[in-house]
Amino acid sequence: MSLPPPVSVPPPVDDVAPVVGTDRNAPDRRRPRRSRWRRLALYAVLVAVAVIQFAPLYWLIISTLKTPQEFASIPPTWFPEAPTLEAYARVFQDVPFGRSILNSIFIAGVSSLAVLVTSTMAGYVFAKYRFPGRDAIFWGVVATMFLPPIVTLVPLYHVVSSLGLSDSYLGVMLPWLVNAFGIFLMRQFIADVPDELIDAARIDGASELRILVQVVAPLLRPATITLLVFTIVYYWNNFLWPLSILQSEAKYPVVLTLSRLLSYTMGVGYQNVVMAGALVASLPTLLIFLLAQRVFVQGIARTGVK
Amino acid sequence: MTTTLDAPGRGTRPARGGGAPTSKQAGTKKYRLAAVGFLSPALLLICAFVVVPMVLTFWISLHRWSMFTPLTDMEFVGTENYRSVLSSASHLAALTNTVVYVGLSAAVTIPLAFLLALLLYFPGLHGRGLVRVLLFSTYVVPTVAIVIIWSNLYAPGHGPIDNVLALAGISSPGWLSNPDTALLSLVVFNVWQMLGYYVVLLVAGLTQIPEEIYEAARLDGAGPVRQTVSITVPLLRNTLVFVLLMTVINSIQVFDPVYLLTQGGPVDSTNVLSFDIQRTAFQFGLAGEASAMAFSLLVLLAAVAGILVGAGRRRS
Repeated sequence: MSLPPPVSVPPPVDDVAPVVGTDRNAPDRRRPRRSRWRRLALYAVLVAVAVIQFAPLYWLIISTLKTPQEFASIPPTWFPEAPTLEAYARVFQDVPFGRSILNSIFIAGVSSLAVLVTSTMAGYVFAKYRFPGRDAIFWGVVATMFLPPIVTLVPLYHVVSSLGLSDSYLGVMLPWLVNAFGIFLMRQFIADVPDELIDAARIDGASELRILVQVVAPLLRPATITLLVFTIVYYWNNFLWPLSILQSEAKYPVVLTLSRLLSYTMGVGYQNVVMAGALVASLPTLLIFLLAQRVFVQGIARTGVK
Repeated sequence: MTTTLDAPGRGTRPARGGGAPTSKQAGTKKYRLAAVGFLSPALLLICAFVVVPMVLTFWISLHRWSMFTPLTDMEFVGTENYRSVLSSASHLAALTNTVVYVGLSAAVTIPLAFLLALLLYFPGLHGRGLVRVLLFSTYVVPTVAIVIIWSNLYAPGHGPIDNVLALAGISSPGWLSNPDTALLSLVVFNVWQMLGYYVVLLVAGLTQIPEEIYEAARLDGAGPVRQTVSITVPLLRNTLVFVLLMTVINSIQVFDPVYLLTQGGPVDSTNVLSFDIQRTAFQFGLAGEASAMAFSLLVLLAAVAGILVGAGRRRS
């Protein structure tokens, strides 16, 4: 539920001599009365943030339960009058929504596993091998992390379509089977694996591949979970590249189906169905995130702290 | 490059990141083979799908070419594409709008994320974990879904934002259909979606600041504001620079809401670089011009990153 246990922050009091070494999570002896108001104010801000952050999601959920008539009513209702699941049924009937969810699972799943493999192998070399130019190559790879895909979109489209892969699943996935962030993340975690462990395996005559798979990889569970969640989310949500390379609707990932649904029905009394689609398309990534959030958030946080 | 692998531990300089095993593997071919084998899938893919396209972007930017014909149909035109980009009002609007969008996003996101990080790092507040999860959860929701939610929140008539404003007697500015507010409305999506991600990065940075420094400052009589300004901000500098860099890189790529909702309008007010590049190439078939814009964006981004990284390094 949270990041590493809070070490501490400056207390909200400035008029009391601090007790050095006090556990600031313990019941507080030294806090004066005025800080109670401060805490109340902090709670008020916390609640306000939670409400602002949740309100659009609340609106999404109740909108999907409304009838088209209620959805378009002015002023809007804040609670659905006669909740119905009809919008969910329609989104699956009117467009190949189920098919596109399967497409997304396939595309995001295969790409993520490939990224995990390429990142672990490359991260292992960058963390545990020595050779001239290693650091230069590594930072060159990391630099590509900051390159927006839009910059290379035109030639990438050309490269992939001249391989005969436009409008194919492979064409959607191929350019994204490696991920600089993944290599960076894996190197950070593998660097913490003790060299002695690897040396011991080497003395026992294990091959490098075997060491990577049986000694190193099992120690990388948090990194693996972080990377898988990150890549699944990233590839599930990716819009620009599938939009550019795919033509046939049967191969659309769910975000593309959703965008077509939105643009075909702009201004038509159909928005409750579009909203239902948006919620369904978000559920898988939300669910994965909620299941793995403790590890995932810590892993992501680690990329910002060097 | 990987074929020049030196046997580890044989007189090369010591490894900087993570000590490699030394004598035991000296001179064996096995390790070179393994290193090449492990590294080549990643490096080959990066070469084929990042490095080569990057070079091609520059090459194409010097040519007139419809991207749906073979590369051999390209006609060399020198810097003509760059000149035409710089003289087109629409492309210049895209550049200006991108700068405004990125600037506004950073100006709103970073102070807000910093204050929220301080709040969520505050000891003993119940429900912090829940708020952090709630903040971060929008980061994993597809932008397309977020665009759908917000376009409904902004909807004239039955949208809740206008109705709440109406209670206060404020009439709707027309959000996405008004050239003055359309870009701003897009900034709101972005902030709402990404805020939690930056808060998490900043909270992680806060945990790195040793408590003793605050203790010492308190003994010297420094109040919370003074401590924040004199301790937290300077010691968080690297994280703040990283967050700023990520904000710039993430918001420079804004595409989905523009493509889905405004198509650059009204009157070019939401035409941003990524949308303009995609439209110029894929709808108008002007790959040369699109590549000139893309390459300019790359140069701009490298300059911004260089300045930020330099600023982060100088005082640390």
